[in-house]
Amino acid sequence: MLRLLAVLVFLALGWAQEITVLTHSSFSLDKGLIARFERETGLKLRFLKGGDAGETLNRAILTKGAPIADVIYGFDNTFLSRALEADILLPYRSPEIQNLKATLLLDPSFRALPVDYGWVSLNYDRAHFKDRPLPKAPADLARPEYARLLVVQNPATSSPGLAFLMATVARFGEDGYLDFWAKLRDGGVRVAKGWSEAYYTHFTLYKGDRPLVVSYTTSPAAEVYYSEGKYQEPPTGNLFPELAFFQVEFVGILKGTKNLEGAKKVVDWLLSKPVQENIPTEMWMYPARRDAKLPEVFRFAPEPVGSVRLDPKVMAQNRERWIAEWTQVVLQGQSPEAVRRGRR
Amino acid sequence: MARLAGLLVLSFLGLALFYPLSRILVLGVGEGFAKALANPYYWERYLWSLEYGLLSAFFTLSLALPLAFLFRRRFPLREAFLALSTLPFVLPTPVVALGFMALLGPRGVLGVDLYGTRALLFLAAVFYNLGLALRILLPVAMRLEGPMRAARVLGATPFRAFLRVGLPLLLPALASAGLLVFLYAFSAFGVPLLLGGPRYATLEVEVYTLLAYRLAFPEASALMLLEILTLGLAVLLYLRFRPYPLPPGELLPASWAWTAGLAIFFLLLFAPLGALFLQADPRALASAWASEDFTPLSLALGNSLRFTLLALLLALPLGVAYAVAARGSRLLDLLGLFPLMVSPVAVGLGYLLAYPAWRGSLPLLLAAYALLAYPLLARALLPALRSLSPNLLQAARVLGATPLRAFLRVEIPLVFPALQSGLALALAAILGEFGATLVLWRPEWTTLTLAIYERLGRPGEAPFKEALALAALLALLSGLLFYFLDRGRGRWG
Repeated sequence: MLRLLAVLVFLALGWAQEITVLTHSSFSLDKGLIARFERETGLKLRFLKGGDAGETLNRAILTKGAPIADVIYGFDNTFLSRALEADILLPYRSPEIQNLKATLLLDPSFRALPVDYGWVSLNYDRAHFKDRPLPKAPADLARPEYARLLVVQNPATSSPGLAFLMATVARFGEDGYLDFWAKLRDGGVRVAKGWSEAYYTHFTLYKGDRPLVVSYTTSPAAEVYYSEGKYQEPPTGNLFPELAFFQVEFVGILKGTKNLEGAKKVVDWLLSKPVQENIPTEMWMYPARRDAKLPEVFRFAPEPVGSVRLDPKVMAQNRERWIAEWTQVVLQGQSPEAVRRGRR
Repeated sequence: MARLAGLLVLSFLGLALFYPLSRILVLGVGEGFAKALANPYYWERYLWSLEYGLLSAFFTLSLALPLAFLFRRRFPLREAFLALSTLPFVLPTPVVALGFMALLGPRGVLGVDLYGTRALLFLAAVFYNLGLALRILLPVAMRLEGPMRAARVLGATPFRAFLRVGLPLLLPALASAGLLVFLYAFSAFGVPLLLGGPRYATLEVEVYTLLAYRLAFPEASALMLLEILTLGLAVLLYLRFRPYPLPPGELLPASWAWTAGLAIFFLLLFAPLGALFLQADPRALASAWASEDFTPLSLALGNSLRFTLLALLLALPLGVAYAVAARGSRLLDLLGLFPLMVSPVAVGLGYLLAYPAWRGSLPLLLAAYALLAYPLLARALLPALRSLSPNLLQAARVLGATPLRAFLRVEIPLVFPALQSGLALALAAILGEFGATLVLWRPEWTTLTLAIYERLGRPGEAPFKEALALAALLALLSGLLFYFLDRGRGRWG
């Protein structure tokens, strides 16, 4: 409260230059790092959490006329085209770009700079499957005995949900993915609104009743890290690298920022080595920098081989349709044939 | 002066309501309509909204009708019960939703989990609208004794007298009450959003989802258009029903037994609120105050109070101007009712479309608040103003007062109690506003209602407890506000 008051007073008097960073709700960085940045630059950082990554981006688009922040962090490759088309970002060729992994530079106009990446992946609860067989192939998930063990996120309201949907499109094809989802639906798959609801209330590891959950490849490592010694080995595991979806998160400067120089400093800082090396254990994504070292616990988070990568253009063209079709089949109970007929 | 006031109200309505609605219309008809209507999913949403509205009206009426007959009697605490029955109507939707979660949710007091079922949604609708229906039915029910007694004198059994005389006389009031409940339930937002999940999303919730997650303006507009058309139809119907002119009746005698019976009924009715306060933990309030994970309560409370006061500065003159202008003009009377028909989400959507350059600016949010609140204020003021004798004003004029001075010094003091009631309603509406705020929101503007929603969006015990505590606080605030300003007079209509 006091800090807030202080921020407000500073704002009113215009003493400290404040930079607002709009983030998704999973954003987190070491407090010491933030304090050091503020001391060194004289800038004051304020982090605004706007909900799910997609929701956050939409909020930025809806407030284009009077931007709510100077920098936006965390929209991903599934939403990249929307951010670029809405024209809310300023191009910035950060000097740090040369240090980033080249494959992540998906926006040639340099308005969206990659800041981290990772994989959305299926996790399973080891305790539950100790004496029970795991599904052998992605298609097995659709069998009733596995479908009723699975919780996914609604792709309309959750970015890992959307990523998993896109993975199924890539794996089963434009026609097959709807049949796969129809079988999941009939088998009793559960749909949660967002990742944290799925993971923390429906997943068996957290007293839910679903031992299969859509999460991230790094989640098992995170479980070890946060267990404070309780787990030497992850209590969960990754399933089906061929269903893992490659996700890149971006950072960008919002058009209309009142402090362009400050915003640039924040972007450079986010791409700097100390922050990049802090990202893995704070947000459980991989650093975009080539020279950033991974923490030891990431040995439990191997990069999946043969994961799904979709062309950003294909995603941009089909995203809305996939979500609509998924909604029709899974939430509304229409048959895949009827939905496919509706395409024409 | 009435003309000037009319001009003021009309220009506000034009900018803050009709122009934004026209943008929805243009976009909805132009791009989205065919696309949206070709999708059976949206039709299902529409049918469910209809069903929710109709069944809510049915359930509410089947409870309100016997209740109205009970209230024909004079018994101790009758007025207090009547005042209590309208309380839910001024409660913010997140408060009601949290109340039902505290009672019948996954961690509910009763241990029965109805979360995500239709039953819970209908219960909430009845809770919300019962007082409203009762207020409409009661005046007619009280006038039935004369005609029904006449029927019995002529040889009808009590049942037959009710069926052939009482019920037909009640029909217009039943229809009005039913249509009003339908209006509110059909366009409900907060309760289905928080209690319903994706399966029981009403059109209103669907429009919000389309906007917030997919930015699908054309489809959102098309659905909103469908909703507005349906609401308009219901309003037209509503306006057709006029009560039969009956001589006023008198209260029938009754005893303490009535009081006891109704006390039990109201205890049951208010069980959700009871559960809310039972489950609200003051420690959660303390942890919410300076929360690091969510908007701190200190900020949310400040925002709520600040916005409410600012919006009131706009709504008060508008409400008074409208009441003055509508006193002599039937057309204005109808036009001014319009904001009551459009939903908050529609207003938010319309503003985003009509004023893109102003997106994310405070005047837009305040205009939405004022638009949604001023009719409530005016509806309370209007009957009082109409009942004033024109002689008073003329006397003041003859004695040398200007029209404005005569209005301020003679009429306003005379209608002051009504003004206070109206103010209480308007304040409660702004304080508990949810839909428009959610659409027009900026993160630093998080109000109490949004702070509750934000915490509900995160799983786990701690955020849920904070949400409960915030809801209890909001309920207390609205209740206190209402008590001090209105004191249960409640002469709105």
